[in-house]
Amino acid sequence: MNAVREPRRAAEPEKTRRTEPHKVGAWREHHAWSLSISLRRLGARPLGTLLTVAVMGVALALPLAFYLLLGNVQRMGDALGRNQSISVFMKPGQNAGMAETAASALRGRPEVADIAVRTPKDGLDELAEVQGFSGALQSLDANPLPFVLSVQPKPGLSADDIARLVDAMKNTPGVDMVQDTGAWRQRLDALLGVGSRAISLLAALLGVAALLVVGNTIRVDILSRAEEIGVLLLIGASRPFVRRPYLYTGIWLGFLAGVLAVVLAVLLELAMVGPVSRLAAAYDGSVSFGGLPAWLLLSVPFASALLGWLGARLVSARQIRRMAAA
Amino acid sequence: MIGFDLVSKRYEGDHQALLDVSFRVDAGEMAFVTGHSGAGKSTLLKLLAMIERPTNGVVTLDGQKFNTVRAHDIPRLRRKLGMVFQDHRLLLDRSVFANVELPLVIAGVTPSERSRRVRAALEKVGLLSYEKQLPSALSTGEQQRVGIARAIVAKPAVLIADEPTGNLDPQLAMEIMSLFAEFQQVGTAVLVASHDLMLIKRMKKRVVVLDHGKLVADVPATEVQ
Repeated sequence: MNAVREPRRAAEPEKTRRTEPHKVGAWREHHAWSLSISLRRLGARPLGTLLTVAVMGVALALPLAFYLLLGNVQRMGDALGRNQSISVFMKPGQNAGMAETAASALRGRPEVADIAVRTPKDGLDELAEVQGFSGALQSLDANPLPFVLSVQPKPGLSADDIARLVDAMKNTPGVDMVQDTGAWRQRLDALLGVGSRAISLLAALLGVAALLVVGNTIRVDILSRAEEIGVLLLIGASRPFVRRPYLYTGIWLGFLAGVLAVVLAVLLELAMVGPVSRLAAAYDGSVSFGGLPAWLLLSVPFASALLGWLGARLVSARQIRRMAAA
Repeated sequence: MIGFDLVSKRYEGDHQALLDVSFRVDAGEMAFVTGHSGAGKSTLLKLLAMIERPTNGVVTLDGQKFNTVRAHDIPRLRRKLGMVFQDHRLLLDRSVFANVELPLVIAGVTPSERSRRVRAALEKVGLLSYEKQLPSALSTGEQQRVGIARAIVAKPAVLIADEPTGNLDPQLAMEIMSLFAEFQQVGTAVLVASHDLMLIKRMKKRVVVLDHGKLVADVPATEVQ
């Protein structure tokens, strides 16, 4: 054994205090050590880490996938329903002046964005453009079509607003029939609303599931390191110090799971581009594929890391407090 | 440095582990606590390590009374202690270096300073060349010396050891005790619980004798034969 003598300051409290690191420096060193030890622990059991990340990643990718689907259904609805208007058919025999009077009455309503008056001749011309109709139309003695008011409602109206507007149209003098071609859109919007709520609930549930997965992983890790924790506490480690590597482990697991969820969502996007493009072609290109927004893709890993931290925090605080008390 | 003033400890089940024990160990002093099994040696060290709290009396370390210490101040006080255990309490999945480094990590010492001090401590116990080994690759005596290096690396004011030579042969035991004596000489208060009377006699240090929880003798170093 080498008996090299330490300088006398070894046991002099005042000197020892002077050599103690500054609080901020100590805090930084603690975090650096905790961060590196948490990475080493994850690397030491790659299969376990991989499985935990995979379970969490798939759980987090599910709401992203549904969000992607719902967003595209919404876009499709927007594209197809963009020019949907309410058609107001005037009674047969109404002239241009009467149609204009009805249009003026409806223009004053707050729900109306625009009204176009389409004459019977406009209607006949449109029909003539439809293949196969031109011959039949030439055989007519007189134009049987009525004046039609094409009413464009203001965007963002509720179903109740639209119903109120339709009632007002039906009660306008000279109006024969009202055809609300946008009703399907309202039903779709309602369905999308249900879907959106379901996705929020699903995301919350799967978020809790991810939190529980991290919590359980950390709990098992802490239990397997009970002896180590006991030694650390005995040689002067505080509970936050002991807890910190587990918090970093939770953060890493959450972050990696978030990255995996984003990768899975992007792969899903890529898989959907082809079918949606074909659908777009069927609708003259009025439908286009919309991917997940960049802000969402960027925020998922960080939100997931926060979940991981929370799961680790809840479990480690309780477990380590118990061990310290024991 | 270490003070016990009329300290008693009664465990649940009415077991009186210590009764009105009073003594002091000053800086630069080394003392043995001895007695038969169940005499109260381990309880005394547990009180000093703040693992247990006294039922009565006052335990002090560096002027700080443990009775008034709040729970969150205990880690800070424990850092003033270097503890050596009979079963070493080493982390078997960490290298010798990483084990010895722990108190410095807890104290927030920078990596370069940690490296320097860990190597100095390992050199002192003669294990510098083993720094990358896992504890399981070392003999019992070497593991004990790693435990001692861990206890001294943060330069504690007080070093306590619970039967540190319990599993060692006489020659190794003497080497370990000589190490403790070196720390005493540089100003550290050293308190060693041991029931090895032969070893205690050879060391010629102060001896505090416990019997059924009572301090029955406090023999100065000069009177140890």
